[in-house]
Amino acid sequence: MSMDIERQFEEQARFWSGIAPPNAVGHNFARELAEAVQGFERARGQLAFEDEPSSFEAALQETKERTP
Amino acid sequence: MTAARERASALMRLTLVEACEAVRKGEVTAVALTEAALDAFKAGDPTINASNALEPEEALQTAERLDRLRKAGRLLGPLHGVPLAHKDMYYRTGKPSRCGSKIRGTCLPTYTATAIKRLEDAGSITIGSLNMAEFAQNPTGHNAHFGDCHNPWHVDYCTGGSSSGSGAAVAARFIYGALGSDTGGSIRLPATMCGVTGIKGTQTRVSRYGAMPLCFSADNVGPLARTARDCARLLRTIAGHDPADPTSSTEPVPDYEAALDGDVRGMRVGIPTNFFFDGADAEVRAAFDAAMKVLELRGARTVRVEIPHMDAVNAYASIISRVEGATIHAQWMRERPQDYSIHLSGRLYAGYAIPAVHYVEALSRRGPILRALGSEVFGKVDVFATPTIRMKVPTLAATDIDAGAPGAVEAFGAITANTRAINYMGLPSVSVPCGFDSKGLPIGFQIQGRPFAEARVLKVAHAYQQDTDWHKRVPVLPAVTMSEGPPRVEAWP
Repeated sequence: MSMDIERQFEEQARFWSGIAPPNAVGHNFARELAEAVQGFERARGQLAFEDEPSSFEAALQETKERTP
Repeated sequence: MTAARERASALMRLTLVEACEAVRKGEVTAVALTEAALDAFKAGDPTINASNALEPEEALQTAERLDRLRKAGRLLGPLHGVPLAHKDMYYRTGKPSRCGSKIRGTCLPTYTATAIKRLEDAGSITIGSLNMAEFAQNPTGHNAHFGDCHNPWHVDYCTGGSSSGSGAAVAARFIYGALGSDTGGSIRLPATMCGVTGIKGTQTRVSRYGAMPLCFSADNVGPLARTARDCARLLRTIAGHDPADPTSSTEPVPDYEAALDGDVRGMRVGIPTNFFFDGADAEVRAAFDAAMKVLELRGARTVRVEIPHMDAVNAYASIISRVEGATIHAQWMRERPQDYSIHLSGRLYAGYAIPAVHYVEALSRRGPILRALGSEVFGKVDVFATPTIRMKVPTLAATDIDAGAPGAVEAFGAITANTRAINYMGLPSVSVPCGFDSKGLPIGFQIQGRPFAEARVLKVAHAYQQDTDWHKRVPVLPAVTMSEGPPRVEAWP
């Protein structure tokens, strides 16, 4: 799994951005993202995209502290 | 110690608000405060490395002008005559803004950040710039280009980052307050590790015009100072809409200090049952529990509450900052990756292979998750509190990725776990000192409220500080021999 992530990251970063791994630490940080991928997997099905336009800024207003 | 040095030292032990009041009443001059701050840096900073570039002549000229104004009966504002210094990522016309980097070493901005301008318009004196993590991208205080910043409570330990110099300078009593910035905890981490108070406002609360960008979606400008009241005064000064930053909120800015009455009777303080205590150190947990007892004795009610969607929040938060940071640095990463420190180029690199669909998913879910928080959490509690970091303050050596320290990459993620989630949610959050660990390093906790509830989180922090003295404790810096070459620590107290 970890080697697969390293190889995938190297190919994607080079293909899309023309950026090579700068050092071995880059691979370490890439492997760290495996946890984020698992987080995405666990979140599947829990939250749906909203049909109507909305935004984070609108949610800030909707949920804000109301002054008495 | 000479009488003059003793008086300067005593002046630097005032809080920011006390210093402001002393100037206003004519009990002390702006020149005296500025000289005291410059002396404090000169005496103590060789071991701490909190400053980047000080501007003594210009600062003293400004102080003299402010003293003349005060004698003429004119005060510029609530910060009249008080020296501040700021993280070296806030642009000031004609002053270098290196952003902790080699790459930006020759950058001379042609305009001034709105936050700095508002602080100066309110009468503060900018005496220089402070050390920081390279491009604000590490949580420890390491800096390969300008030297690591050292914790005033023990120089072997991390200050926290990325606003390392801001936290250390305030803790060491070099300065009364400082701007930091917070994208994943960069105000609250140095606040907690250095034992001072720091607040990030609601996302959009403070203008980011003239502040180096790290991650457009989660960057926040905010202050570090000794007390909640100090932070209230600084935040009120810088908050509010700025036409130069169209993303800044038009929400009115209340008088945060007016809310600091110490009364938290009946206030419901949430304590999360999930995520925020996973793997927490026993000493950190004990200090946090003791802090909640203090609030309960003041009449607050603690309530166990589950924070929804934390798996998703944690994943989404890390994706957004990685992708936006990588985007900003793409050209330099192609052309001069060797000019970044090892840990930063490595961290940035990982951002270039994250699929865009995941980035867009992470952004698009912020609204629904915030709405879920609004109903499922803030329907039951007024604020919720967590440790700012789950571990004790680590050493610089143990977290030095560039030196190959084992586990240091993982430590970066662990340090920011509790803070970066709050940035994703966009909530106001204040970190408050609440004790010391067995090694003598500070412990802190953070308080979150609804969007734009800065007054409420500051009110809770202030109430806590009425019954505790953690924020009043002063680190004793080691004696230093000033001579040719690097400073030499004579003795650790």
